[in-house]
Amino acid sequence: MAPDANGARRLRGGAPGRRAAVLLGLVVLALLALAVLDTPASGLVPSASGVEVAKRFLGTALRPALDYQEAHPDFEPFLWKVAKGAWRTVLLAAGGMSLALVFGAVLGVFSSDAWWEDRGGRGARRAARGSVQAALRLVIALMRSVHELLWAVLFLAAFGLTPFAAALAIAIPYGGTLAKVFAEMVDEEPRAAAHALRAMGASRASEYVLGLVPGAMSNVIAYAFYRFECSLRSAAVMGFFGIPTLGYDLQLAWNDLAYREVWTYVYAMTALVLLFEAWSAGLRKRFVA
Amino acid sequence: MSASHAITADDAARLARVAELRRRRPVNRYLRVSLVLCGVLGVVAWIAGDLFPRFLFDEASRRNVARFLGELRPEPLQGEPWDWGVFAQWVRETLVHTRGLGDAWRTFNLAVLAIVLAGTFAALVAPLGARTLATRDPLSDAPDTAGWRWLRRVVRLGFVLLRALPEYVLAFLLMAMLPSSAWPAVLALAMHNAGILGRLHSETLENLPAGPLRSLRQAGATRAQLAFAAGFPLALGRLLLYVFYRYETCVREATVLGILGIRTLGYSIQDARSKLYYDEMLLLILLSVVLVLAADAASVFVRRWLRRA
Repeated sequence: MAPDANGARRLRGGAPGRRAAVLLGLVVLALLALAVLDTPASGLVPSASGVEVAKRFLGTALRPALDYQEAHPDFEPFLWKVAKGAWRTVLLAAGGMSLALVFGAVLGVFSSDAWWEDRGGRGARRAARGSVQAALRLVIALMRSVHELLWAVLFLAAFGLTPFAAALAIAIPYGGTLAKVFAEMVDEEPRAAAHALRAMGASRASEYVLGLVPGAMSNVIAYAFYRFECSLRSAAVMGFFGIPTLGYDLQLAWNDLAYREVWTYVYAMTALVLLFEAWSAGLRKRFVA
Repeated sequence: MSASHAITADDAARLARVAELRRRRPVNRYLRVSLVLCGVLGVVAWIAGDLFPRFLFDEASRRNVARFLGELRPEPLQGEPWDWGVFAQWVRETLVHTRGLGDAWRTFNLAVLAIVLAGTFAALVAPLGARTLATRDPLSDAPDTAGWRWLRRVVRLGFVLLRALPEYVLAFLLMAMLPSSAWPAVLALAMHNAGILGRLHSETLENLPAGPLRSLRQAGATRAQLAFAAGFPLALGRLLLYVFYRYETCVREATVLGILGIRTLGYSIQDARSKLYYDEMLLLILLSVVLVLAADAASVFVRRWLRRA
């Protein structure tokens, strides 16, 4: 009985009073939001033209296009085009993630408490270390708190419509998130091995790389995979800014009123996400204790 | 000197032991193949994806970048020495005429409404996806009927489908069907997060300690009573943690949905961009940073307050 009772207390996560207060607060805030926002009840009822669009769009949900709805001799085969869009989405996600991993690894190491752990030394040096770490944490927070599409707005203005701008737009917020999580994971590792290495005279770097990183590695890899999955969604959405990924094709098909083609892209996007979700779930199951 | 470097029989034995240990270490083939595939994908992306910024070696593009950076400086200060008074004045005026503060306020509200709707949906529907509750005989190991199995599968699939599409795409599609209001953005955020919270909440329900629920069942509680009178309060703490965790993401996404034309911060950012007022665009992006950091801090604070009790 005792473990169950402990489990229940842990799951409840705090006193009933506080939970009820938070729940009530959320409901009140949501009601206030209804008043602040432009959310009339009529906004939930499709207009006449909306009903028409909804009928035609939702009516074709189970009949995704396998060929162009209006054939044209010059076009490449439709399914080839879908496959190419999916492939480009994967490539952009992989390109963004490869940069993000570099940012995340470097910033993660140099923002973790373990790296800056006090090993004595003169006061001035210790203060300098503290401020470097604080500055890095601020940089990471800034990288994370701007959404990838806002980074894209900035970089597209700076570099024009190039895949590099899109990859960089994904890489910066993702790199910030990876850095934060990597640092937390390393800091949660037991320090015994690292301290043993230090007693043998290991440098700060080898103490870190040999004593801490191996233990955190399985969690780090699992989390990086999960972010890869998210970057696929981001890469698809970059298409709305004109980068040729699935989102781009979807938007064009929608503007052409080719709803069955839209569904094909929707399903392609869903399938891609599910494929990578299964891949990373498989990894977590086999790899993370 | 050289004698100490000669490999003695002792060293050889030690090396053999190391090699032996290396051979016997657990090897995870799934992981190896995954890592190799990802490495290949990363390399291919840079070669075939046309990612390398060759254009930066081009004189004209470099000038473009330099001009862009120059235009990020507040307009009254361009070509002038930096003056904090002028800067403060410019910030005040810009926030007024772009209506940035109102947009930030609406962004915050939109995120709250969406996450509360998503949480309510999850709380109501998740029991139908929980293995322990949505069975013929709750909390027992008795064999299940096909009907209940299918119901669970359909509910779980529904969660997957809800979260598969990005919020941005959902909002784009909804905007074509609903009259212009904030609803398409609210619903898009709520739907995506309902899929995520629904799955997490049904997992919490499945992992609840079985003892209390089982004794209620033996005392004659119905399935609905188990799910909502016992399961919900037991799982509420965890659900609230997830709600606040997703709330942070919601604020970020709500900002961006403005680009589609709904009045959140993204709307004024996009507006400034299309007018090529890059200085104002940067200021509004920084405002969104403040909003997100405030939301993060509030969420961390509430989560800690809940946990500490």
